[in-house]
Amino acid sequence: MIARVPPAAGTLASGAPALSRTAEGDVPALAAASALQAARLVLRRDLQLAFRKRAQLVQPLAFFAMVTMLFPLATSPELSKLREIAPGVIWAAALLASLLALEFLFRDDAQDGTLEQYALSGQSLTWLMFAKTCAHWLLTGLPLALMAPVAALSLGAPGAAVPGILLSVAVGSVTVSLIGAIGAALTLGVKRGGVLLSLLTLPLSLPVLIFGARATQLAISGSPYLAPLELLAALAVLGVTLAPLAAAAAVRISLE
Amino acid sequence: MTWTWFHRLASPPYAYALAARLTPWFAWPAALLILGGLWGGLVLAPPDYQQGEGFRIIYVHAPSAWMSLMVYTTMAIAAAVGLIWRIKVAHAVAASCAPIGASFTFAALVTGALWGEPMWGTYWEWDPRLTSELVLLFLYLGYMGLRAGIEDPHRADRASAVLAVVGVVNVPIIHYSVTWWNSLHQAPSVMQLGKPHMPAAMLVPLLMMLLGFTLFFVALLLVRLRGEILSRERSASWIREVVRA
Amino acid sequence: MKEFLDMGGYALYVWPSYAVTLTVVVLNIVWARRALTRSRAEARRRLIAQGEPQ
Repeated sequence: MIARVPPAAGTLASGAPALSRTAEGDVPALAAASALQAARLVLRRDLQLAFRKRAQLVQPLAFFAMVTMLFPLATSPELSKLREIAPGVIWAAALLASLLALEFLFRDDAQDGTLEQYALSGQSLTWLMFAKTCAHWLLTGLPLALMAPVAALSLGAPGAAVPGILLSVAVGSVTVSLIGAIGAALTLGVKRGGVLLSLLTLPLSLPVLIFGARATQLAISGSPYLAPLELLAALAVLGVTLAPLAAAAAVRISLE
Repeated sequence: MTWTWFHRLASPPYAYALAARLTPWFAWPAALLILGGLWGGLVLAPPDYQQGEGFRIIYVHAPSAWMSLMVYTTMAIAAAVGLIWRIKVAHAVAASCAPIGASFTFAALVTGALWGEPMWGTYWEWDPRLTSELVLLFLYLGYMGLRAGIEDPHRADRASAVLAVVGVVNVPIIHYSVTWWNSLHQAPSVMQLGKPHMPAAMLVPLLMMLLGFTLFFVALLLVRLRGEILSRERSASWIREVVRA
Repeated sequence: MKEFLDMGGYALYVWPSYAVTLTVVVLNIVWARRALTRSRAEARRRLIAQGEPQ
């Protein structure tokens, strides 16, 4: 039984917390807050906790860089050839890196009982799932979107393509985080659920991959990329409205 | 009143008994329709103007593809019913559907590839319909994998139900992909309203096969459903009678 | 008969297609029946373990 020492509502966690995972946004403060405040608390908590384990934060990003590096070595160092496969490589690597980070989305919270507290707190679990997904995107999707243009440049993309690549990965990774949260919630507690998580998330992420890679490809070739980008945005909006709900349902089921 | 019928179906012993009684009523007509369809399609139907005898693959490919989509939809509806109304029998139906649907998706992909090679010059193409059919196979496998990975059967039912419902968006994508995008795959020729494009001698065996396979699916479902119901009823007394038989 | 088997030259594609589909059909029947048998055996075993009179 974990003894929780709740900080007084609205105060910061003490410098020497009873648990290494105690942070602002612990559950008593949660129950008293409004839905939006609760979401913000969860978001802040996830971000704070993630920054304490910086090594874990960097892993998916390092993975992305490594996978991107595999292709020039495995196929051909010729930039003109690499430019052709660059959209596919970047998107495949970004998807896989996001999947890596997704495993950690719920794992720690499920292990120490925080997730149960979220479900019991009386707050809308949908909003809390949205908050956790936001945290995941800020910690993984956004950094990947910033790294993607660099990777693209190394694969022969022209400098003018940078804004387009950044935007397409940034918007597309939102949907990936949203869909991935559903998968992560469903595979909570499945032994070695990482592979199953990929098997569940990848098929549902394929539209994002298709449109995202198309937008990136158009950006690299210098053509207008607004159309697929708008489709990516539409998918993200659809995801934002539906995915947290499904993730909340999945979390409740996993906690039964 | 219609709703009492629905509630009776939710009762495991009733559903079990009904499934046992109904199975032959679906199995035998299915066999007759399929055999008749095979005869009509392989022997009686004239060769196609463009594709010659090769078009006869349609009599196995189209039913398989139809099965892959229909079974998934059934699975998703059963899963939704099970989630919303918390009916174990509905979850049992969904669980029964998955292996059937997965195997026919595989058949659809293989027969499609075998049809594509002589007709389009390629076994495979990454166009929307083929790709989303492949995605459908992965959805089935993911569904079965999730079920297998969760130990508690009640939790497995509900988690996989969420997955089935989330994945159902893929079904209209597959069906409409040939109209939404320029695709290598031909536009729907049977499912369009209005005049069908196929002559009767070709169409009738195809309809027989489609209906026959559908009835076959129901028969298979009923057989599997009984096993699934049994495995969910841990200590109910009605099992004693059933198992002793 | 030979023309039938030849399928206008498409035999290599038509007959394997039918073979694959037929195999899937037969396998489904076998699997479904086996699943039912296995569930019944398991239910019987559970009843015995619970000490029910057989």
